[in-house]
Amino acid sequence: MSEDERDQLRRKFEAYAENREPRVRDELVTAHLGLAEYLARRFANRGEPLDDLVQVASVGLLKAVDRFDPGRGLEFSTYATPTIVGELKRHFRDKGWAVRVPRRVQELHLRLGKVVSTLAQDLGRSPTIGEIAERAGASEEEVLEAMEAGRAYRFASLDAPAAGDDDNQSMASQLGEDDPLLAGIEHRVALSPLIAELPRREQLILHLRFFEGLTQSEIAGRLGISQMHVSRLLARSLAKLRGSAEED
Amino acid sequence: MANDAEVRLSIPASPEFLRLARLAAAGLASRMGFTYDEVEDLRIAIDELCFSLVGNGGRPGTIVLRYWMQDDGLAVEGVGQFDDGMGTSPALSPLSQQILKAVVDEHELTIGKDGPEFRLLKRHVNG
Repeated sequence: MSEDERDQLRRKFEAYAENREPRVRDELVTAHLGLAEYLARRFANRGEPLDDLVQVASVGLLKAVDRFDPGRGLEFSTYATPTIVGELKRHFRDKGWAVRVPRRVQELHLRLGKVVSTLAQDLGRSPTIGEIAERAGASEEEVLEAMEAGRAYRFASLDAPAAGDDDNQSMASQLGEDDPLLAGIEHRVALSPLIAELPRREQLILHLRFFEGLTQSEIAGRLGISQMHVSRLLARSLAKLRGSAEED
Repeated sequence: MANDAEVRLSIPASPEFLRLARLAAAGLASRMGFTYDEVEDLRIAIDELCFSLVGNGGRPGTIVLRYWMQDDGLAVEGVGQFDDGMGTSPALSPLSQQILKAVVDEHELTIGKDGPEFRLLKRHVNG
């Protein structure tokens, strides 16, 4: 970063401290995404997809931008690093594998998403477990364990919205006037008011799977995310609906 | 593959053991050539029904699960045997009904002689 750019950023921080303009905040966040990504990478070998970690780190970055006081003469990166690292560590603490999942299975779990979607494309249908195992070079049991590993997240952490769930922007832009989510919402909320409290993306997936009858692979294709991700989000939504229902 | 092969599993009636119920179902479904999508559906259904028996916090007692590999698909029965009595009669919320309707071909939740019990059938299309 040149001295000029540094100066410019410093002025932006000062401006943001004054006016709290969302636009300035966005610019500041964007300017430091590299830092968030850099720090996320340092946690990448712990069995979580890098994309998720970058999201978590970005949440930390956002907090740091909000709390940074340019008047104190600290470099922003010096200030932000512990905040971002703290966010990442908390992520692992809160969402740590509740059941000790062997590294081999964790790795397979991470690889599985890609294998399943490639196979589904090649075959034009959902692959069998045997086909997945063959392609992944693993046993069927290992594949099943790896599918199960997606749920090994601690139940307690399920109430908190997970990082990466607030990224509804792209989703919102995909949803037009005849948003299926809006169309059926009264109906679904009548079934369970808790549905309305789920993140928008989870509501949409729930709707497509259980009310429109789309398969997980179809939903994955439609939303442009991996099937494993659909599966994880579904499991999480259902656990949340159950968890909160119990408190009544 | 033996037709109508039966597998039994008895687990403590608390959420942390449900993975065994899911794994057993997934393992049998996989043997029967179910697809990834179908296995996922089955796991959701097992979860939904088991939770309807034990609730979120679990109950003292056991769930006895029986799995049948049938010609037309995988049938699963779960019987709750609880030390805290029969409790209130189990009921599926409308949302649970909707979910189960989407993921399995048949399901029911009833009161048996030992306690609440469920049954489900997941057909295998390419069977």
